[in-house]
Amino acid sequence: MIEVVASMSRGPVFLAGELMECLITFTNPMSHLSTSASSEMLAWASAQIHCQFHASESRVALPAQGNKQDVQAESDTVLIPSRGERGQCVLDTPPKILFCDLRLDPGESKTYSYSEMVPVDGPPSFRGQAVKYVYKLTIGCQRVNSPIKLLRVPFRVLVLQGMPEPPFPQDEEVSPSNPFLEEEEASRRDARPLERALEMLMVSTSRRCPQMFNITDSRGKVAKFCMFKTVYRLGEDIIGTFNFSEGDIPCLQYSVSLQSEEEIQQPYQRRPGQPVSVTGHGRHMESCLHTASSHFSLPVPLNVTPGFSTDTVILRWRLHFEFVTARDPMEPPIVLQNQSEVTVWTGAEHVNVDTFSWDLPIKILPTNPALASSMSHFTGTNSINI
Amino acid sequence: MYFLTGWPRRLLCLRSEEEPFHIQPSSQRFYFAVLSQTQLGIWFSRPSVLIVSYIESAKAAAQFGSYQKAEWKPDDSMIAVATANGYILLFDVLGVGDDKSLYEPVYPKGSPLVKVTPGYKEEQCAPALSLEMKKPVDLEAPITSLQSLQEDLLVCTADGYLHVLHWDGLGSNGRKAICLTTIPFSLDLQSARGGPSLDLEGAYIRCMEYCVTLDGFAVVLSDGRLGFITPLSNNITADQLQGVWAADVTDGTCVAVNNKYRLMAFGCASGSVLVYMIDTTTGSMQLSHKLELTPKHFPDIYNKTGPVKLIRWSPDFSVAMVTWECGGLSLWSVFGAHLICTLGEDFAYRSDGTKKDPIKISSMSWGAEGYHLWVLPHIQEKKRQTEEEEEEEMDSPPQPSLQAGILQFHFIKSALTVNPCTSNQEQVLLHGEDRLYLTCGDPTQVNSTSDTHAHTHLHPREGSPMHHPPNPDSSLSQGLSTLLGHKHWHVVQIHSTYLESNWPIRFAAIDSAGQCMAVAGRRGFAHYSLVTRKWKLFGNITQEQNMTVTGGLAWWKDFVVVACYNFTDQQEQLRLYQRSTNLDNAFASVTKLHSDTLLLNVFRDMVILFRADCSICLYSIERRNDSPHPTASVELLQEVSMSRYIPHPALVVSVTLTSVRTETGITLKAPQQACMAESIMLNLAGQLIMLQRDRSGPQVRDKETPANNKKLLPFSPPVVLAQCVENVWTTCRSNRKKRHLLEALWLSCGEAGMKVWLPLFPRDHRKPHTFLSRRIMLPFHINIYPLAVLFEDALVLGATNETVLYDGLQGSSEPLEALFPFCTVERTSQIYLHHILRQLLVRNLGEQALMLAQSCASLPYFPHVMELMVHVVLEEEATSREPIPDPLLPTVAKFITEFPLFLRTIVHCARKTEYALWNYLFAAVGNPKDLFEECLMAQDLDTAASYLIILQNMEVPAVSRQHATLLFNTALEQGKWDLCRHMIRFLKAIGSGEMETPPPTPTTQEPSSTGGFEFFRNRSISLSQSADSVTTGKFNLQKTFSMPTGPSVKGRDVECAENMYIDMMLWRHARHLLEQVRLRDLGCFSAQLGFELIGWLCRERNRVARVDDFVSALKRLHKDFLWPFPVNPAGSLSSPLKNGRCRTVLSTRLLKSQSADSLLNSDMDTAPTQAAPTNHTWLDGLGQRPKDMDTASSSHSNQHSPQTHDAFLSLLTNKVEEYSVGSATDLTETSSVVDGDWTMAELEHISMELANKGPHKSQVQLRYLLHVFMEAGCLEWCVVIGLILRDANVIKQVIGFLDSPEVPQETVQSVRHGLLAVDTWASTDCLGYKPFLNLIQPQLQELMDSAAGEPVQPEAFQPSSQSSKLGCSEVPGGAAAPRAEDSRGAVSQLGLALPSLEPAGGFSRPPSEDCPPEQTEEQGEEEGAYDCTLS
Repeated sequence: MIEVVASMSRGPVFLAGELMECLITFTNPMSHLSTSASSEMLAWASAQIHCQFHASESRVALPAQGNKQDVQAESDTVLIPSRGERGQCVLDTPPKILFCDLRLDPGESKTYSYSEMVPVDGPPSFRGQAVKYVYKLTIGCQRVNSPIKLLRVPFRVLVLQGMPEPPFPQDEEVSPSNPFLEEEEASRRDARPLERALEMLMVSTSRRCPQMFNITDSRGKVAKFCMFKTVYRLGEDIIGTFNFSEGDIPCLQYSVSLQSEEEIQQPYQRRPGQPVSVTGHGRHMESCLHTASSHFSLPVPLNVTPGFSTDTVILRWRLHFEFVTARDPMEPPIVLQNQSEVTVWTGAEHVNVDTFSWDLPIKILPTNPALASSMSHFTGTNSINI
Repeated sequence: MYFLTGWPRRLLCLRSEEEPFHIQPSSQRFYFAVLSQTQLGIWFSRPSVLIVSYIESAKAAAQFGSYQKAEWKPDDSMIAVATANGYILLFDVLGVGDDKSLYEPVYPKGSPLVKVTPGYKEEQCAPALSLEMKKPVDLEAPITSLQSLQEDLLVCTADGYLHVLHWDGLGSNGRKAICLTTIPFSLDLQSARGGPSLDLEGAYIRCMEYCVTLDGFAVVLSDGRLGFITPLSNNITADQLQGVWAADVTDGTCVAVNNKYRLMAFGCASGSVLVYMIDTTTGSMQLSHKLELTPKHFPDIYNKTGPVKLIRWSPDFSVAMVTWECGGLSLWSVFGAHLICTLGEDFAYRSDGTKKDPIKISSMSWGAEGYHLWVLPHIQEKKRQTEEEEEEEMDSPPQPSLQAGILQFHFIKSALTVNPCTSNQEQVLLHGEDRLYLTCGDPTQVNSTSDTHAHTHLHPREGSPMHHPPNPDSSLSQGLSTLLGHKHWHVVQIHSTYLESNWPIRFAAIDSAGQCMAVAGRRGFAHYSLVTRKWKLFGNITQEQNMTVTGGLAWWKDFVVVACYNFTDQQEQLRLYQRSTNLDNAFASVTKLHSDTLLLNVFRDMVILFRADCSICLYSIERRNDSPHPTASVELLQEVSMSRYIPHPALVVSVTLTSVRTETGITLKAPQQACMAESIMLNLAGQLIMLQRDRSGPQVRDKETPANNKKLLPFSPPVVLAQCVENVWTTCRSNRKKRHLLEALWLSCGEAGMKVWLPLFPRDHRKPHTFLSRRIMLPFHINIYPLAVLFEDALVLGATNETVLYDGLQGSSEPLEALFPFCTVERTSQIYLHHILRQLLVRNLGEQALMLAQSCASLPYFPHVMELMVHVVLEEEATSREPIPDPLLPTVAKFITEFPLFLRTIVHCARKTEYALWNYLFAAVGNPKDLFEECLMAQDLDTAASYLIILQNMEVPAVSRQHATLLFNTALEQGKWDLCRHMIRFLKAIGSGEMETPPPTPTTQEPSSTGGFEFFRNRSISLSQSADSVTTGKFNLQKTFSMPTGPSVKGRDVECAENMYIDMMLWRHARHLLEQVRLRDLGCFSAQLGFELIGWLCRERNRVARVDDFVSALKRLHKDFLWPFPVNPAGSLSSPLKNGRCRTVLSTRLLKSQSADSLLNSDMDTAPTQAAPTNHTWLDGLGQRPKDMDTASSSHSNQHSPQTHDAFLSLLTNKVEEYSVGSATDLTETSSVVDGDWTMAELEHISMELANKGPHKSQVQLRYLLHVFMEAGCLEWCVVIGLILRDANVIKQVIGFLDSPEVPQETVQSVRHGLLAVDTWASTDCLGYKPFLNLIQPQLQELMDSAAGEPVQPEAFQPSSQSSKLGCSEVPGGAAAPRAEDSRGAVSQLGLALPSLEPAGGFSRPPSEDCPPEQTEEQGEEEGAYDCTLS
């Protein structure tokens, strides 16, 4: 038996364009003292990243695909990372051979480091109602005359759309490239995409540009609403303030939901004009009858997928507001001083209400993958015995 | 702990001219009575709406005077209001408990949007109440204080009386009045009870509050004195009261009592709050601590706050909110840790720097569970605002335009404040009204990653095909920094269905892995898993509503443990629910309890309960898997009655089982001890009490049968460990390597910071010193409020309030956003180890300190800890005004020398302290010169560089230059290029400083030298004629961009002696490298330091840049550039030994090259070299020759490069010959093997191809060097590199050059000798070179021929020529040798044939099958990437 453990040291979340590194350890778990101990051999192992796409039959009409799945016989020495999985492989990286002819003595263990740039042009990891994009690192190993065994390590890919292309062709032009300098250069270059992406994220999400909205219904003004920005990172809090004191229509209650809309692109829609799927990711509800001003703070969960679009699907984000307003004015009476009689003011038992809603599109961007890793349900490690 | 979040919410009161000024919560804080002059309003807590408002008639208002204070009857059915004219007005609150509700929305029929929330009607409405006034009571004097007792209402009046009124039948028979002067007061209860105090004449009680757990009244008298009045019997009667004074205080203003911690907080006119406790033995008032703004943190305001106006303890009594006459809010933990103050920073200043008026507060009250603070802002604030608004709204109808408001501040609090379970305290869990905040990234994960790294490190990693794995240390620190660096929380919103019906959340708990949370509100509970991201609620709502969590909840493995009250059975129960099953009582294990539970905790497999009858119960839990759903069985182990020690059950803050013991009894074996529940820690109103298992009795345990084994040892009487304790942390894990940290007990003690009860261990298991106590309590200060202790990591986690300003965004009107900053809570963490180490050193426990430090030395911030320790001690002792009799710094320095990071620590610390302290520091730790030299010896150059800066400041320039030179040379030798560059700058700076000239600016390089590199840069086309235009075009670009940045050594201002000096050193180093044949190092050196190699080589051409021993130079290059020795197919058979060596080289190198590039990467096959460019100085003269050469050899090369494939096909015949060539040495028989199949041969050939080529990078580097040497005219080196690259053109070209008159004769000779030596060596030791040598045979011969008078025998070629001859003779159709005797002819013959067999360096082209077109393209790109320019 050989134990194969793959572990992503940085955590299971990566930005597209980043270098993903995975340590793959092959161990012969037998103690060299045990009697039955013998060396173990593996013919080869190879690793590859791929992105698997799966669409719900009822919502997405995909063009018919030739079924190429069974072309490979089990024992072939060809690594098909997506073998045996549902859906289609939309993207894969060239396979890299870790070794050929590995021999492990009892108790011996060898570690290989696989690194590959997460493709920039792929979709983000996404698990929607109609469409799923799942990224996996697949390590295929084979013993001589045995079927190939696959070890899959699922991971999450965040895509920062509109990230500027790495400016390095030009860089290269002007920077020294004496072949003896090259090593440092390369290591520096590795860190760059992440830094650049984080910088871009910071710039685009830290800018404050307050937007004021007058919330009105058919009879008049309900409230004034202020958002300080419309672009957020994962894990950030969306903050908005309400000012009801300037409104004419009393508002009993409001709620704000963070929602994602998943829309299948026109050519792939199963039914013409099929509605977008809306998913809620958090909600703030507040009674605001005697409230002059209030605010809400909705956390953007770390595990959601930032907005993106592919040929098949578009994911958009919005805030969905609902207001319950009184139909009749319910101004509390003005208390006049020095009245001759005792007055007891009591709130109304029933209020005739109307409800109305409003949507405000916002942008959700990725965050530092290290932060997202801390709350990922992937572990970034997996193992098999072969 | 409590933290402010967000903005306050503003609520609107009725439109009125009156402003509310007093707010009083009902007992459960669900209702709030809000008073203005003639109005009494009742607000509901959630939703926060006004239920009812009573407005007095004018006539009554005139009679009673304005309203002043209000108090609720404990059952919420009545409100008493005190008025200015001395009346108590009593209001019946009707409708409490009825089902009628207010503000129920009626949705339009048929509306598509019917309801926003299902269940809105039931939950989001306020109950309907009405107010009815009963008969007023006239007390005939202004009322100063109202206090509600269970059955009575206590009223203090300004005439010095204390009225006791009965809630029912107020004003009639139940009325008593006690005169203050009749109460005897003294400093303690023991001193003689004198008669009534005479000095109380005319005094009255200004403020009073009743403390249940002290059973008495804390009072502030009108003259500012503070006192405490105890009723000596159950009834409050005049002759049964006794008072004590607080000594020496006469400026009291207000009081608030803390029932849980038995504290009385008195506000004073000075602005500080004095917190008193009652000494239990004497009954006197003792000052516990003060709440004061420090001048350090609040320099502007600390003495300008005015008198303390109000103090309010939170409902759980863990924090106090204080406000002053000048306004502002400040929050303090129970023992005085300061949390928030709104008088400073963003609260006090706008973003443009102008000062805001602090909000003045007339009254405030905590809301339910402390999630809100209801604040009535002071009237003046609004007057100003009114005026402004009135100006704006001149034309609006004249009405009281302003609506008074109530501000509702939001808080989140630590789960520890109400539910102090230890099992999970490595997590920080905060909860707000509707959400949970937990720390992102759990520390155990970090630990585990570090473990895996250590693991991989242990295993031999053979030829890792990819990059090196990250350094375990760096990854750990990275992990920790991700853990600690970002300040984010993971926020989980509490399920709205649960929240709406069970608000407010009372308890929250998290499991030890940080994956599961549970919350409990008014009824029932719910739990959440981070894995599924789902809440689990009771499926059956009746079950939820039929239980209420009383004693808290905790996680045990995957069970939620709750102590609850069951309304159906009307009994207290302990229940365990499994996480994965449905939340249903059917799956719960229920144990009946006999008394109300107040606290619950879990230790390993034990539940510990503290009950209202002051007893502690221990239960064991066991998981059972016998049913389809896992259940747990609970069994009572032990009951410990504490009633003797606990005066009131409400005083117990937390109860914990620990494995901590004082080791006074019989010592246990360590593993046993670690698992045992050895002691109970009980926090009794801040006093930490420990009850140890009594092991002094007969040890009968071992003899007992296992069945009775569960009978546990009794507990000894309690011992007090510490005072003023807010939280306690211990762990039940054990780790032999970190025993100090894991077996310690950690305490947070409010303003006193933290304390650790550290175990002391005898070293080396020797007998402990008798004087050494087993544990020591060490206090230390930290700057954050501790919320969790990471035991192994020696870290404390906490949280702080941060603020963000949002003002200036919304124009003229001033919304709340402008008045207040937006508050957030951020995670913080702190290291504390340096405090502990220092304390141990102070106490002469250096050995313990060393053991502790060694156990933590692998922590990533350990160097930082050391540095901090030196720094703190240094600052303290060096700046001390008086001489220190026994300075600690030398001890600290000596301590740090125990660690390898001593040198670094000292220098880092020095560089972070001011220069003035350096003398003191180095007097203690040693001479910096010596330290510098130690660094050099330890090869720690970076640290040495840091010391250099110290030296530069402390010594004369000559000394620092001398040391700098030393360091520079070492850095050069070690290839620390960054350091070299720094040293060059440093040396120049010293020089310039000496000569008082500004440091020379980086000088530009001469274009000519760059040109040489440019030539190389486009090497793939450089030899073609068209290269020139490209070269110049790029050259300009490159010059403008890279020149100024490149650290250039060779300057035009040679007049600077310093530059000369540096150049000399660089030259010397270059010479040194070249002498030692370290070409690779030379290349790096030149590239990194911008050393102008060509110019220097030109000068050294005939000196050091010669090659003495070609063979060893060649071998050295093979080694340095990881270049495999060529393998000959024949050789592979003939010479197994050498071949074996080649193979190992192959196997390791191959993997490397694979990682860097594609398998068959070669840049030589991209274009055949054709001609040397003619635009370079040295080559100019020779330009003609090589061209001729090339044309001469072009037919030769053409034969091979394009038609490799064809040539390859002729392999079979040649192969036979080749074997026979091999057989000439010793293995003739093996030629018979050669009936092998084609594919094998092909494979063999390909692998040979690979084997003979080194990594791509080396190849590029060698090519680069070749061109440099070519430029500089170092022909011998060109030959060596040409040989290793097996580029026949190079050899040809060089040999061509040799004819030039410019080439000295020695060079020619040297090349000749060298080549001969190589040939000899190849023949004997490395046959793989033979084919190549044969290939260049014509040139060699030419060379030999040209050396007419030289004593060179052609016989030198004999061995190879003989073998060649042999081979030749066997060629059946071989070209006829013109001169049979002439070995040269035969060799040349072979030379023609061989390349097809074994394509040599420059002409090799992998078979096209293995080189798909894409790959070639890729190579082309990579070519570009390796282009060379000079900086």
